[in-house]
Amino acid sequence: MKRMILSGVSVLAMTCAASAAELGAVDEPIKLAINEWTGQHISTHIGGEMLKAAGYKVEYVTAGYMNMYQAMADGDLHAALEIWSSNVSEDYAKQVEAGGVVELGDLELDAKEGIAYPAHVAEMCPGLPAWEALKDCAANFASAETLPMGRLVDYPADWGTPGADRMTGLELPFKAVPAGSEGALIAELRASTEKKSPLLITFWQPHWAMSAYDVQFVDLPAGEAACFEDASWGPNPNAVNDCDFSPTRIFKGAWAGMEEKWPAAFEILSNYTLDVSVQQPLMGAIDVDGGSVEEVVAAWMSENEGVWKPVVDAALN
Amino acid sequence: MSLVADLPITGRMKRGTLAGLVVLAVGVLCLLLEKSVPWLSVWPEAWTIPATQWIGDGLGWVLNGIKPVMRFVSWLLEFPMNGANWLLKSIPPLILIGMVTALGWILGGWRMAALGFLGLLFVLGSGYWLESMSTLALVFVSVPLALTMGLGIGILAYEYPSVKGVVNATLDVMQTVPTFAYLTPLLLLFGFGPVVGLIASAIYAAPPMARNVLLGLERVEAEVKEAAVMSGGTRRQQLFLIELPAATTQIMVGINQCLMAALSMVIIAAVIGGFNDIGWEVLLTMRKAQFGQAFLAGLVIVVFAVVIDRMSRALAVEHKARDWRPAAGLFAVSVVAWLVTLGSLPAPAEFNWFGGVAERVDQSVGDFTAANGARLDAVKNGAMFYGLLPLRIGLDQAVLPFTWGFAWTPAMSLWFFAVAAALSVAVFLTGREALAITIACLAIVIETGVANLPWPFLLTAVGALAWVASGWKLTRLCVILLALILISGLWERAMLSLYLSGAAVVACGVLGGLLGLWAAVSVWAWRVLEPVCDMLQTIPLFVFLIPVLMFFQIGEFSAFLAIIAYAIVPMIRYTRHGLVTTPPDLIEAATASGATGWQMMREVRLPYAMPTILLGLNQTILYAFAMLVIAALIGTTGLGQSIFLALGQADVGLGIAAGAAMAILALVADRLVQGFASQQRAALGL
Amino acid sequence: MTSAVTTRGLWQVFGAGAKAALTRELQRGAASEDVASVLRAEGLIPAVQDASIDVGEGELFVIMGLSGSGKSTMIRSISRLAEPTAGEVIMQGEDLLKASKARMTELRRTKLGMVFQHFGLFPHMTVIDNVAFPLKVRGMGRKERHEKVREIIEMVGLAGREDAYPRQLSGGQKQRVGIARSLAGDCEVWMLDEPFSALDPLIRRQLQDEFLSIQEKLKTTILFITHDIAEALKLADRIAIMRDGRIVQIGTPTEIVLNPVDEYVREFARDVPKGRHMTLAEVMEPLNGAVPTDGPELSTSMSLEDALADCALSMQPMAVKDGDGKVVGLVRPELFARALGAQG
Repeated sequence: MKRMILSGVSVLAMTCAASAAELGAVDEPIKLAINEWTGQHISTHIGGEMLKAAGYKVEYVTAGYMNMYQAMADGDLHAALEIWSSNVSEDYAKQVEAGGVVELGDLELDAKEGIAYPAHVAEMCPGLPAWEALKDCAANFASAETLPMGRLVDYPADWGTPGADRMTGLELPFKAVPAGSEGALIAELRASTEKKSPLLITFWQPHWAMSAYDVQFVDLPAGEAACFEDASWGPNPNAVNDCDFSPTRIFKGAWAGMEEKWPAAFEILSNYTLDVSVQQPLMGAIDVDGGSVEEVVAAWMSENEGVWKPVVDAALN
Repeated sequence: MSLVADLPITGRMKRGTLAGLVVLAVGVLCLLLEKSVPWLSVWPEAWTIPATQWIGDGLGWVLNGIKPVMRFVSWLLEFPMNGANWLLKSIPPLILIGMVTALGWILGGWRMAALGFLGLLFVLGSGYWLESMSTLALVFVSVPLALTMGLGIGILAYEYPSVKGVVNATLDVMQTVPTFAYLTPLLLLFGFGPVVGLIASAIYAAPPMARNVLLGLERVEAEVKEAAVMSGGTRRQQLFLIELPAATTQIMVGINQCLMAALSMVIIAAVIGGFNDIGWEVLLTMRKAQFGQAFLAGLVIVVFAVVIDRMSRALAVEHKARDWRPAAGLFAVSVVAWLVTLGSLPAPAEFNWFGGVAERVDQSVGDFTAANGARLDAVKNGAMFYGLLPLRIGLDQAVLPFTWGFAWTPAMSLWFFAVAAALSVAVFLTGREALAITIACLAIVIETGVANLPWPFLLTAVGALAWVASGWKLTRLCVILLALILISGLWERAMLSLYLSGAAVVACGVLGGLLGLWAAVSVWAWRVLEPVCDMLQTIPLFVFLIPVLMFFQIGEFSAFLAIIAYAIVPMIRYTRHGLVTTPPDLIEAATASGATGWQMMREVRLPYAMPTILLGLNQTILYAFAMLVIAALIGTTGLGQSIFLALGQADVGLGIAAGAAMAILALVADRLVQGFASQQRAALGL
Repeated sequence: MTSAVTTRGLWQVFGAGAKAALTRELQRGAASEDVASVLRAEGLIPAVQDASIDVGEGELFVIMGLSGSGKSTMIRSISRLAEPTAGEVIMQGEDLLKASKARMTELRRTKLGMVFQHFGLFPHMTVIDNVAFPLKVRGMGRKERHEKVREIIEMVGLAGREDAYPRQLSGGQKQRVGIARSLAGDCEVWMLDEPFSALDPLIRRQLQDEFLSIQEKLKTTILFITHDIAEALKLADRIAIMRDGRIVQIGTPTEIVLNPVDEYVREFARDVPKGRHMTLAEVMEPLNGAVPTDGPELSTSMSLEDALADCALSMQPMAVKDGDGKVVGLVRPELFARALGAQG
């Protein structure tokens, strides 16, 4: 956490000294995918405004996160700027393999996933945030569906079952219940906070709910690569997955024809990165304070020209 | 059921008894062999065929083949869509409001004008004007598409009676396979964007139109048709000049139903995206679990639905020609209002009249949860421990020390069955064979649990019911369809879906029946219930998941409630409709015989309404299955979850297979109920 | 003759605010025609206007009129199937319009019976259950009530069809069920609303005859609605003729045929073969000491038609005897001619 905040000043790390590129078809709009969550809106709008600054037309197109890759391969959508490796659709890999979609490199948004709980739960399970504490207070988390085990609210089934995998790996007496949707996860957090009831949940950051409901992560053994392959690694000698989540990579993807059609834009988006310490406050300005994405991003862009301008200039000159 | 038992069809009772006894025998046999023959309870993996794989591969091949053609269609459809979108967004809101108000006056006088005016004013005030216009553009294109499709299909089935069976089955499939199940192939075919939502909603909205066209044409009086023939018209002239116009009233009902169905599907367009519509707003706010805001956005859809519904219904009933001058006046006023406020009126997106209300609603949901946490938990646990869990996994697994306070032992099972058997035999001896067999079978279900029912028992039971309801043909159909689920390896998930929707249907039947009864006897009750029913049917159901989740958290109970909220509506509507439409001569006859209000209800109105109520139950079943997919968003397992999994992974095979399994369950239930309903109608001489 | 049912100033007005408007107009004390036209001008429908009838004990009283004349509304007002707007309906000293709902149910169970034009049979009940329904709602046990109605079913000629359903019966049989059901409650006032109109002519005549013989046996007071003048003349002791909601004439069949009060009634009577409905008693002259020649046996109760057939060739006055065989008057051919000439 601390490390992230400290590095927040140098928001955009320039990975390479870019060579000048052609603008390409500036008359045709570049369509950027707008998915279902605020953080992504911010990432996309910053990237889009950079393209506009370079002289492109940009169109923001709403697109379902899970279903957009076919459209990208068809050239109906041109880029998506915040793809999470933790819950990317299998379709993405298929389209990359088929050659319709290419990766644009990391967004370098430092994300973390983990087993989490609202702060008030710490009182119900002394010893938290250490994961071992969960062994003894599982009963406090029990519900009608999971009795006698505790209940862990896991990601929706179509995002995978990382929570359930941890519980099995660490032999914790919890049964994972898939949430079905992000809205359901948030509703669980909200209800738990309102009712002061126990809740263990699989969650991630950056997310506006982390601060809104004072969500804390459980400390799990570090998620090294060995943990996921070698059963003997970690506290449970008989199982894999007995550790924290593998670090989530957040990256960008684009239509394969983009490099040819808009070479400079392709380069700008490839070099575009965003720090979590930038995204998080902007998210608050929108979701908590009620600002619009356009206004909030425009304000940040005008105040932080020094951060993003070099990336645009590097591609053009 | 008692009514059915009273019927005089000779051999009917014997038939039911025979079928019941066979089912019971299979059930008992399965219970006895359960331990020694494991494949009775669980279909072995080795026996399943990789149906999902085959479907995926086969479809992939077909889809790639027709893709270019469909892409062309998609390209064509974008023109009217963009045109409508451009037009709706370029008309100033005030003028559009004026136009709708004027139209309302022409269609239904001042009341309709007021409805149109207030409705659109609400939309403007909500701040979702632009998004709403996108949605309307979608509807404006998808509805004509659905109407044309429906008209064509209806005429086809009417002109060629030999294809009627096939057409009906197709319509059933179109209505029962959940849209989410075929979104992936649609995306593949039509490409990204609102066109997919448009096609999906057209597919869903066409069947009601087709059914009403067919019904209307079939009901044209023989004399009218004969007159057309004798006038020397060609077949085409007969159809278009005489028969279709003669069927207008029924066709208008179809148009109305088609509009409503299309509107209820617009949210699907949002799941894909590409179109900044009101459904997208619902999804965004839903994702943040903001009930108030999601509700507000959902209400915009409800308002459209109500305005469109009432206006199109007014079109369906004949109305006296109205003076056009007040309409022109209303329009003129709106133009003046627009000119006066030109420049001073904020942009449509700036309106936020209801933001405060939405926030307060949202807050009160939170406050309610905070204040009643323990009580809500108690309700949920009670329902789970003593109702849903035993139904799903059976008493033998659900009764545990920390649920019921004691552990279930095999001896208890024996006692339980002994008591059930004794009761059943006692009832049997009084001559009520059907009830006796039902008791025995229910005992097996409750002890074992729906999810653990041996498949031979279930197949036999469904087959037997089909035989009693209709005959061998239906039995064959039902058993083959269910066997398909079995061998494709989706049985377990299908049983979970069956359990959840079954429990919800039973609850809807009881609760909806009572509410319908209440609405039938009290005008005030109906005045309250009708708008609630309208809202429940048209608001995107995602919206209601939020408070349900807040109160009862993720899990089956929440899903159970969410399904009820949606599926109870037809039960209420049809029960009331059946009860209030008892022919007046029957009511007079009963009154003249000295029957009191309740005697009349019990002896005359209820039996007479039974076929209609059964139809309502039928609709409730279909709705409950439809809602399973949405319920998967609050973490139910079963087929609904499989459909979402398939959607996320772009797995065409799994999506279609799970969707088909769901449709099969719905179809089988539908055919069974319809079989019984048509027997009832025949018994009443209708 | 004591009266069994009396209505006084019965009004049935349909439309919103009917009651207030009627009360207001009646208080003004205007003639009922004027009241009706005021109400009509306000968009209300005065279906029954100021109807007063007096039905005697055991009398067969027919209300006749064209469709829309208000006759069905009239009978529904009396039985309170439709709530009248104003007036009184007196049965055995009790004003039915003031009776509570429960009292009305009680009366319907014990004193009123009704037969409907379209039978009003319950499609989900067998013949015997339909007939026994009035007993069922009184709370009588299944066995008892079935026993009780068996006789009635036999009387209406449906023995053997007890377990049939309405859909399995012909129209005539259905109405027999309707008649049996209305009789199951041992009613004192029997109301029949065009009971035979929906049946074809042959069946209609047959049922009319059976109806008369049932009436012979039961001697109940009957209110009978019809639009068929022949039926009215055949059955009625007295007839009330309704037009546009008003009763325009009440009288015996003969009075109606011979002395119609207006064109409307005359129109009704136009096609009636008068010879069939007039008896010699109505055309004969007093003896005044004359001694008629012997001829065919003529009696006062003989219809003109029959008498004509018997003495068509006679040119002499002929004696008419009363029931006891005493000569009470004479008829001459010109009397026939004059009476029949009145027709048309």
